[in-house]
Amino acid sequence: MATSVRPTSIPAALTALVPRLHEICGEDGVLTDLSRRRVYESDGLTYHRATPGVVALPTTTEQVAAVISLCAEHGVPYVPRGAGTGLSAGALPHAEGVLLVTSRMRRIVEIDLENECAVVEPGVANLDITRAAAPYGYYYAPDPSSQQVCSVGGNVAENSGGAHCLKYGFTSGHVRGLEIVTPSGEVVELGGKATGAHGYDLIGAFIGSEGTLGVATRVTVSLTRSPQKTVTLLSAFSSMDAGGETVGAIIAAGVLPSAIEMMDALAIEAAEAAVACDYPAGAAAVLVVELDGPAHEVDAQVERVTGLCAAGGSFETRTASGAEERALIWKGRKSAFAAVGRISPAYIVQDGVVPRTALGEVLGRIAALSAETGIRVANVFHAGDGNLHPLVLFDDAEPGAGKLAEEVSGAILDLCVEHGGSITGEHGVGVDKACKMPRMYSDDDLATFDLFRRAFDPDGIANPDKLLPTPRLCGERPGVRTGVHPLVESGRAEQF
Amino acid sequence: MTEPPTEPERLFGDLLNDCVHCGFCLPTCPTNVLWGQEMDSPRGRIHLMSQMHEEDVLTETAVGHFDNCLGCLACVSSCPSGVAYDALLEHTRHRVESEHERPRGERALRAAVFSLFPYRNRLRAMRGPLRTYQASGVSSLVRRTGLLDRLSPTLATMERIAPPLSTPPPPLPELVPAVGARRARVGMLVGCVQGAFFPEVNTATARVLALEGCDVVIPRAQGCCGALSGHAGRLLEAVEFAKRFVEVFEAGQVERIVVNSAGCGSSMRHFERTMAEAGESDAWVERARKVSAKVVDLTEFLVDLGPRAERHPLPLRVAYHDACHLSHGQGVTRQPRELLTQIPGLEVSDLPNKEICCGSAGVYNLFKPEAAAELGDRKGRDVAATGAEVLVSGNPGCSLQIASAMERADTPVTVTHTARVLDASLRGLTPEQLLGRR
Amino acid sequence: MKDLDVEGVTLRAGTEADAVCGVPPDRVARPENTEALGRLLATARDAGATVTPRGGGTALDWGSPPRSLDLMVDTSALSWIDHNAGDLVVEVGAGTPLAELRRTLAEAGQRLSHDPVRVGGTVGGALATGVNGPRRLLAGTLRDLVIGMTLVRADGVVARSGGRVVKNVAGYDLAKLHTGGYGTLGVIASAAFRLHPLPSAVRVVSVPLRSRERTERSLAALRATAVVPAAVELDHDRLCVVLEGTAEGLVPRVEETVRALGGDDAEVTEALPEGWGVLPTEGTLARILVPPAEVPSLVEELDALAGDVRWYGSIPAGTLYLSFAPGTPVDVVEKLSAAVRRAPDRSAVLLRAEPHLHEAGVDPWGEVPGLSLMRAVKDSFDPDHRLSPGRFAGGI
Repeated sequence: MATSVRPTSIPAALTALVPRLHEICGEDGVLTDLSRRRVYESDGLTYHRATPGVVALPTTTEQVAAVISLCAEHGVPYVPRGAGTGLSAGALPHAEGVLLVTSRMRRIVEIDLENECAVVEPGVANLDITRAAAPYGYYYAPDPSSQQVCSVGGNVAENSGGAHCLKYGFTSGHVRGLEIVTPSGEVVELGGKATGAHGYDLIGAFIGSEGTLGVATRVTVSLTRSPQKTVTLLSAFSSMDAGGETVGAIIAAGVLPSAIEMMDALAIEAAEAAVACDYPAGAAAVLVVELDGPAHEVDAQVERVTGLCAAGGSFETRTASGAEERALIWKGRKSAFAAVGRISPAYIVQDGVVPRTALGEVLGRIAALSAETGIRVANVFHAGDGNLHPLVLFDDAEPGAGKLAEEVSGAILDLCVEHGGSITGEHGVGVDKACKMPRMYSDDDLATFDLFRRAFDPDGIANPDKLLPTPRLCGERPGVRTGVHPLVESGRAEQF
Repeated sequence: MTEPPTEPERLFGDLLNDCVHCGFCLPTCPTNVLWGQEMDSPRGRIHLMSQMHEEDVLTETAVGHFDNCLGCLACVSSCPSGVAYDALLEHTRHRVESEHERPRGERALRAAVFSLFPYRNRLRAMRGPLRTYQASGVSSLVRRTGLLDRLSPTLATMERIAPPLSTPPPPLPELVPAVGARRARVGMLVGCVQGAFFPEVNTATARVLALEGCDVVIPRAQGCCGALSGHAGRLLEAVEFAKRFVEVFEAGQVERIVVNSAGCGSSMRHFERTMAEAGESDAWVERARKVSAKVVDLTEFLVDLGPRAERHPLPLRVAYHDACHLSHGQGVTRQPRELLTQIPGLEVSDLPNKEICCGSAGVYNLFKPEAAAELGDRKGRDVAATGAEVLVSGNPGCSLQIASAMERADTPVTVTHTARVLDASLRGLTPEQLLGRR
Repeated sequence: MKDLDVEGVTLRAGTEADAVCGVPPDRVARPENTEALGRLLATARDAGATVTPRGGGTALDWGSPPRSLDLMVDTSALSWIDHNAGDLVVEVGAGTPLAELRRTLAEAGQRLSHDPVRVGGTVGGALATGVNGPRRLLAGTLRDLVIGMTLVRADGVVARSGGRVVKNVAGYDLAKLHTGGYGTLGVIASAAFRLHPLPSAVRVVSVPLRSRERTERSLAALRATAVVPAAVELDHDRLCVVLEGTAEGLVPRVEETVRALGGDDAEVTEALPEGWGVLPTEGTLARILVPPAEVPSLVEELDALAGDVRWYGSIPAGTLYLSFAPGTPVDVVEKLSAAVRRAPDRSAVLLRAEPHLHEAGVDPWGEVPGLSLMRAVKDSFDPDHRLSPGRFAGGI
């Protein structure tokens, strides 16, 4: 169910706050004009929209703390927002609340080479850290697809990964220190330039908390030495099964590539249409495998992986080690999402995870689901860690197509959970999947999450209605979907 | 809306729908770099355009944010979904100009700018410290609106970096014949600012083309291409310029129309869109399409043609600045670098943040001097960081903007045009001769 | 106190041998599975009993003594291994000995990439204390490897967070929260981990520690290489660099490492030394966090204050272990702790304080940043403060 809330004037509860907000953030740091506020009505998931009551653009930790203290004092909800690129509506504004935007806090405070770390403000773009560190032979390892624009603060909120998290892990493995403002407006320093901290691992628990525990106002991240050698392989298969099996074989062989990506025929078609990436003709599936590290080790691994691909039935494997050649291989993969727009008027991007050994099985079930419903599904995904991104294609001009596509998309998530996976590997829960949390967790599990949330935010003002199902969001009794699935009921599918 | 949408309106709606709100355009948008707020980013402006389109209202606020846009089109380069922001912006600006009542002072300033810039002769009259005040015809308007104050620093810079008036190059003939066997017959745009302030760039362009075996046709009657007006939403004015231009170059019977000014070239490539947007007849649209198809940047043309003339060594360290309307507007980034690196002894480096606009943006620096200056300062710092002696660029506005910013910062740099560097190499000039040093 | 007799739980009286920092439990209960553990803790809640869990009992003298200890929960029956080799994932009961897990995984050519710091410990104990050995530079520490956890809350409710897939951002990462929580927020029943393939070969390049200047030079040279060490460890009087990979690929990496460390007196071995990563079992033991670049100067500074200490720890992680000789008096320990804590970005806790330190009223934890939030979390999970009260920082 899409959210869409749009009042015309500033809610009464907020009008009293506006002069105070102006005092805190300055004249140009508060947006009250309707057309300006409306510009912030959604993040990267435009399906959910709400005009924020008021928008604050602080530039310092003190301002963030003062705005949040003000909210706490008045019991006004607030929603933090970074670059607004999230795909789970985690930054969906609150119509009666303050939207707290960190986009003006974008200073790289320090690149500390001796300690191999950087200190940045939350609005700094992920890739800007790498740009700043690259001249010294370092980079910032987490690389979400939106890395040139997504902010570090947003990465912390979502525990962002990326294509290379297979080897290098997620944001949580690369953050050493955080300065946060809690939902009561208190500024707390956690960790520092050493890795780890004494006491509870609050950094670990804060990362991925989707703005419900506070706002990170300064982040100390580890810098990673740029690898001596990087090789990208492109291997083509005549079936998805063969590709999927090969992924399993690579993992099982003890090779740890930095990335293993997979695309199916439909995704390849889209990418070809968009960027003419020149993938091997007739491929029903391609794997993009990247290996990095000390040159000798990489060479050995390339040989190993090439052999495994051949054994797995690959009919062509290309190897690229120069930056330009590698970029050419990645071009097709990276363009695939946007490119799907060229083969379908509308689509839904899903994000689910399955155990790697279940990849073949689940992909088969998705194909069957697609055949039964007539809804095309393109698959582009992080195969190495079982993170599926099915693109459910439909024509929004066709009556009922959107709803059917949504059902197929939901059924794919059910498949993930059924196979012991997760409803989200990297996009987060936000508003979009809050009501799906009961499919994965029991009432007791969710109540325990809520215990934790309340420790930070007893009054429920920090990004409310996100991450956990609430009656307001999901109806009176959130619970696991029981009974016959609507698709089964309508005869369009047999069983998921 | 009570009436059914017009064709441009319908098209506009379709183009707006292409945006998926991913935000990839934000990092290279100069106003986002400056202010970090959504309304001053392409994604935000597209949202404001949608508001305007769907609800058929144009608020003061929205106009302000549309005005803030430099039209550098960096967002077009970074958009994975192929959103035609250039078309969206042009339509929006046209709508602003036709529907929105600007305050009086602002109106007068705009009138003054557009009575001056598209006219080479009036611009030329502005040159020289004395002539500034004597500039006939436009002088009182220019003075009254405060335009002169805004222009003064730019004019001062021009005087410093442009060759002295006492030795202007001879006016170009209407035909410069090819040297050696003829390889092509091309038309050449003279341009307004280029023609008035950097005539030597035009001379160099014609000479390089001729040395590479081209007959160069330079119609006297060509006038302005209409880019400045078009980018500012003055659609009818732009169409009039465009029509004249189309007629003149149709008559010239050239294979290609070579342009050495990025802003002009970017606009000239879609005369047909301008005609269609203004509701011109199909016949005009078709004629415009044919002329536009011939438009090519000098560097692009030369790379396609392939080098024939000998390149003499030019030992110099230069940094190359991508003019937005060349890189983002026309996708020309590889060719100028290729031409420069072909010159023996010439070391070419890139600027950090090369995708970001320098703040010149046509006449933006006259309407939004503060934002423009701040962007100029940033660009100046990036140029200084390269340690290059000379900055090479393919657009006269950029050269002026960056040179004046670097003077302000007390890190002066010599600026020149790609054509002049090539010309110097082809003629075997020394760096000192190129740069006018002893 | 109410009866703690619960189905599926074996109960016995506590002894001195069960004592936690000198505090013996009244009774010791051994639940046979997670459900029984849930019933036990629910009953304990009704009885108002204070509870401390134990695994292998190897860290009973770590932390602060509990203020009260009615019931010790012995997790040794929660010992099971569910290994999905194809996925490189394992789920294990908290009472599973780490050694047994290592053997099982090794049979499949895999490992949990964690060097234990104590011998004889369990998975639950390693998680609850959250202290990591040397090889942590490639795959991170336990908190990075744990992908799911089942725990039993103070009120007996069994709750799970995370799952059994390596990538998952649904819900809060409570597994990290409980890692290093000393059982003060709940009792860990089981955990799922991501695994790694066993490397086909290992090399240890080590040099004797000399002057601070030389160490700093070596470390800077090492940072400038692309050898990708699994560990750069301060091992008492040696600086050890561990490299993992293929025998062939290791040849140039070893050479480069030897050069970086300064050449002549470098020693290269093909196996980890005996007792690798294990911390001393006697005497006061401190964990120090410091910006990595300051490690050599801190070591020099503290060595000058007291000669009879030994250093261990990961230099690039800025995590050091300072081992005092048994019987080191209070004032020496406090002098060194104070010296560490003097700079704002350095901190120290005493993982193990000898009894005479506890008696003298030394707070092993010192000032821990974020304590107000930690208290709030504690109050939320254990409102009656019955789980290991007083054992954690700030009297939690």
